[in-house]
Amino acid sequence: MRRFLLSLTLGLLLGALAGVAIGWLNPPPAARNSRLSDLAQPHRDDYTIMIAAGYAHDGDLAGALERLQLLEINELTSYLRAITERIINSGSRELDDIRMLARLTAELGGATPAMLPFLAGGSS
Amino acid sequence: MPAPATFSNWLFALGLVIGIALGLAFTRLSGPLQRDNAEPWQLQPEQSNHYRVAVALEHAHSGDLTAAMEKLISLRTATDPLDALAESACQLGSSGYLASPSGIQALRIVAQFYIAQGRAGCAEQLLPPVATPKPAAREDDSIRSIAHSTPVPTKPPLETVAQPTRLAPPVQPAQRRFEAISLRSFCAADRPAVIEVSVVDYLGRGLPGQQIRARWGAQEDFFISGLKGDRGLAYADFQMSADTDYTLDMPNVAEPVGQSLRTGLCYEGNRESLKSYRVVFAER
Repeated sequence: MRRFLLSLTLGLLLGALAGVAIGWLNPPPAARNSRLSDLAQPHRDDYTIMIAAGYAHDGDLAGALERLQLLEINELTSYLRAITERIINSGSRELDDIRMLARLTAELGGATPAMLPFLAGGSS
Repeated sequence: MPAPATFSNWLFALGLVIGIALGLAFTRLSGPLQRDNAEPWQLQPEQSNHYRVAVALEHAHSGDLTAAMEKLISLRTATDPLDALAESACQLGSSGYLASPSGIQALRIVAQFYIAQGRAGCAEQLLPPVATPKPAAREDDSIRSIAHSTPVPTKPPLETVAQPTRLAPPVQPAQRRFEAISLRSFCAADRPAVIEVSVVDYLGRGLPGQQIRARWGAQEDFFISGLKGDRGLAYADFQMSADTDYTLDMPNVAEPVGQSLRTGLCYEGNRESLKSYRVVFAER
């Protein structure tokens, strides 16, 4: 009996430790339980640009802010400034995307010198 | 004579397998979820509804049907992406989304999108009728009403045909009027010399995107509600300087607050700080 308990207990303990370690170091990707704030950066950028495009279309700043709040960001102006400058520097998006982002950022008082060339022509 | 075996490899292996299974199950149930790496298809149903609204808004601006369809498809719905869009609009329209002018405007754009693609949903029945332009409306309102009066196609258009909607000028929500209904000073060591403003509608709900103006001497500065997510949609704040009198208003929509605001020494318990203010602008 002692032999049975010792072997099984030792196996369970070591197995549980290994299982927790494996599970903790390799967490599963969230599956259909994610929030917009959990989106990977490229998709969060996509969402932000879509909102900026909506603002360029309807001029509804309150609506744009309500939608951006779903990203659960505390400082929206800083967030928009950062994303706009990152995209300007990386050149990873269309010119129109940058213009729309710059316009929304400027509307919230977050324009920086880097955005000025994109604000001059307005959003098409 | 050999000593009696005190260990069973067989049982140890069994325990190991059960232990690993239990350990993995534990981390799957209560372990760390991977954050900041989700794909659009992994969004919760309610969150994917908002994502679809964003797709429709972008399509309204760009007219790029291919890009919009790609984004809708990326949500990997079991049904047709456009039917899913109509269903999302229906769910949002039935859940209080239409309580704000912004929600109405957004759902109208969503409905226009899927109707133009030959789909139907319940949102178009939930939407209030389009308001007749007022006589004093801006000049470009007439162009907008033309854009909105485009008849619904009687058959689905070809999927490759994009209908640019850029010609439609920005649609400004109806002008609201506000009134400062509350002005209180407070003293908080962690919030010195701050004007905290809340902008609410006539039901007391926070209104983001409202511009507030602080003026002092010949200078002025603007700040906007809803930019600090952790403080709610109504919140905006402004940092005061010492020995300065500030006047607060909302340009064109609210008269200045009755008195000028000036910071000064104050005490919270035995902690010294600078006086701050809380102002509430409410829709009237």
